[in-house]
Amino acid sequence: MSNFGSRLAGATLAVVLVAAGGCSAGKGVDVDGGGATGGAGGVLTAAIGGEPDQLDPHKTSAYYSFQVLENVYDTLVEPDENLEMKPALATEWKTSDDQLTWTFTLREGVKFSDGSPLTSQDVKYSFDRIVGEKLNNAYRFASVKSVAAPDPKTVVVTLSAPTPNLLANLGGFKGVAIVQKANIESGAVKTKPVGSGPFAVSAYTSGDSVKLVRNDNYWGDKPKLDGVTFTFVKDPTVALQNLRGGEVQWTDNLPPQQVPSLKDGGDLEVQTTPSSDYWYLTLNQARKPYSDVNVRRAVAFALDPAAITKAAKFGLATTNQTAIPKGSAWYYEYAPYRHDPAQAKQLLGQAGVTGLTMELMVTSEYPETVSAAQVIAAQLKEVGITVRIRTLDFAQWLDEQGKGNFDAFMLGWLGNIDPDEFYYAQHHSGGTFNFQKYRNPAVDKLLDQARTETDQAARKQAYDQVAKQVVDDASYIYLYNPDVVQGWSKKVTGYQARTDRAIRFRDVALAK
Amino acid sequence: MSRFILRRLLQSAVVLLGVTLVVFLLLQLVPGDPVRVALGTRFDPQTYEALRSRAGLDRPLLTQYLSYVGNALTGDLGVSFRSGQPVTTIVLERLPATLSLALTAVLIAVLIALPLGVLAAVRNGSALDHAARVFSQFGVSVPDFWMGIMGILLFAGVLGWLPPSGYVALTDDPAGWLSHVLLPAATIGLVTASILTRFIRSSVLEVLSADHVRTAEAKGLRGRVVVLRHVLRNALIPVVTVVAVQLASLLGGVIVVEVLFAWPGIGRLTYDAVQARDYPVLQGAVLLVAALFLVMNLLVDILYARLDPRIRVR
Repeated sequence: MSNFGSRLAGATLAVVLVAAGGCSAGKGVDVDGGGATGGAGGVLTAAIGGEPDQLDPHKTSAYYSFQVLENVYDTLVEPDENLEMKPALATEWKTSDDQLTWTFTLREGVKFSDGSPLTSQDVKYSFDRIVGEKLNNAYRFASVKSVAAPDPKTVVVTLSAPTPNLLANLGGFKGVAIVQKANIESGAVKTKPVGSGPFAVSAYTSGDSVKLVRNDNYWGDKPKLDGVTFTFVKDPTVALQNLRGGEVQWTDNLPPQQVPSLKDGGDLEVQTTPSSDYWYLTLNQARKPYSDVNVRRAVAFALDPAAITKAAKFGLATTNQTAIPKGSAWYYEYAPYRHDPAQAKQLLGQAGVTGLTMELMVTSEYPETVSAAQVIAAQLKEVGITVRIRTLDFAQWLDEQGKGNFDAFMLGWLGNIDPDEFYYAQHHSGGTFNFQKYRNPAVDKLLDQARTETDQAARKQAYDQVAKQVVDDASYIYLYNPDVVQGWSKKVTGYQARTDRAIRFRDVALAK
Repeated sequence: MSRFILRRLLQSAVVLLGVTLVVFLLLQLVPGDPVRVALGTRFDPQTYEALRSRAGLDRPLLTQYLSYVGNALTGDLGVSFRSGQPVTTIVLERLPATLSLALTAVLIAVLIALPLGVLAAVRNGSALDHAARVFSQFGVSVPDFWMGIMGILLFAGVLGWLPPSGYVALTDDPAGWLSHVLLPAATIGLVTASILTRFIRSSVLEVLSADHVRTAEAKGLRGRVVVLRHVLRNALIPVVTVVAVQLASLLGGVIVVEVLFAWPGIGRLTYDAVQARDYPVLQGAVLLVAALFLVMNLLVDILYARLDPRIRVR
């Protein structure tokens, strides 16, 4: 027995030593700041729902990455809280009379966090990289013919056609950030990106956290915090517990069903703000009978968006029959549908459709689509449509979407600013996201015109017409605009939840 | 003995090669396109093709597999499709967290199950025996994520004794590590303890009725001596196998618990890699788990010989 015991102990010790050895060999062991550096600000810990896939702003498409990168990088221009484009790295810009040449003047004395200067060459390098390597956001540069840097402070963008939403394309989010050539070429950008934003990445521990420290070379007002640590907490109950216990001071991963009571309760600050995201149901128009507009309209009349919103979002959303939310300058008030099963049945009758079985594809990646699908199925049953719900993981879901293997699916679009982003790729017959195969020559023409229309009033009118037609044709059946829901400790001041979900900690302070 | 180990190691290498092939082929069958996931919903055919060729996914399958195995032989498990980091680094970085969690969990499990199982068997039919059986029934039937959440709500929320989630490296701050590891390790440990308790109880019961035990009792040895010297040692042989298998599967990462407690281990890595269809990382993680299983099995075989002189390794 004693022999056995000592052997076992020996084996265990050996394994523990291996573990410890692995630990010290691992990188990214960084002592948490906590004000030790002498600044008054302290370190804010933020719990986000998942881990960034990588920190190269031009290559990632994950929102978790952009939550971090929002605080690390700058863009030429950036959206303010009303999503109007405002100066950032560029202080001013001029447009030529033919609208084909935009000249940007860069801010004086901007440096990257490593102290090297940021010049027009870096802007040119960044934009050329996105276009030349066909990276995720290359589509935003569709009308850009060339980018030139005639002197260190000037960037000239030449276009092939007038592009009234150029500012939103070049600065809408950090996916078009200005990067440093040396940082990209060394490959360090994936875990240790160098930007010119208010904070700089100091350590990235895979699976655990990304640590940021204040960038003392930042061109704007010096951030009050010493640093920000992002931890990855997938479970909302656990994230809330961390916030309550004081382990974290900010999270956007709260259990939705508890949000109403958290907003009333005293010890936390919980804000809900309408977002510019929208969620929709769409039917595959390449398949019968969904090619018939009457069938699509019948589905729209059969739905009760209020009930769907309640099930999917616990009321943390605003129903909307168009894409663009109320409060946006581009909002168009139009709501022709109401929950009317009789009307739906009549339309189905006109289309000669009986006993229809519809496959509805949803994804566990976005649980709200799974909950909404139950309600949608119940509502469509009332008008004689049998819904078979297919719940897939996102990888497979995207695969099926791309191949057109679906009758119907529900999903959302996040972070759009300009109406072109809301409509063109989704509803133009040649649009890259037009998976539902909608085709309406009148809409195509309006979308092409509005894209280059520089008169704001005329542009708004064109998009209003697009919105009306898309809703009437039920290319998308729009459901709701969700709220941005974020919560933080009462010690946090200066934070504001934004409609585009950009997480900015540059003006935040943390009380002791 | 050394010849035995050498032969086993060679066999293990062949098994690992087989594992790479099976995993590679299985991944081809899994629906879902890694390029589509990486690009998200914003899909543009040109961007898609560019990324696909950068990741080498447009090469013929055989070429992909052969270059993978070739590199793997030199310790290079490729580059993560999502993060661009070397897979070997990523996987090894996650190993300490998983090792420390798995070992703590098994320690907790053994500390509970060994006395409980032995006492339940020795006092067969007593109130304690019934209590042990209720405990193990509870442990195996309650899902671990539920137990984990209840633990968090109680010990982190109501009592405020332990942090709800997160990880501190043992080498950085042993006390911090201990406070973070306790809840997830206890969650896993209770489930494992339930399995072990049943096993130890039945194993001890079996040995209790064996001839040599009756002989020992007939010699007039005291009950405690009989149990410790004559029963336990014999009863432990199958138990060691079960403990080793449990440990090996824990070393593969406890996906649900690691995700719940934001524990940066192999399980969470595997989960994220599956979601993203990050084939190189998934292959690397599976390979590591397979290797750990082989090592555990080898250790068990060696341990058998120590426990029972009748077993000889050849």
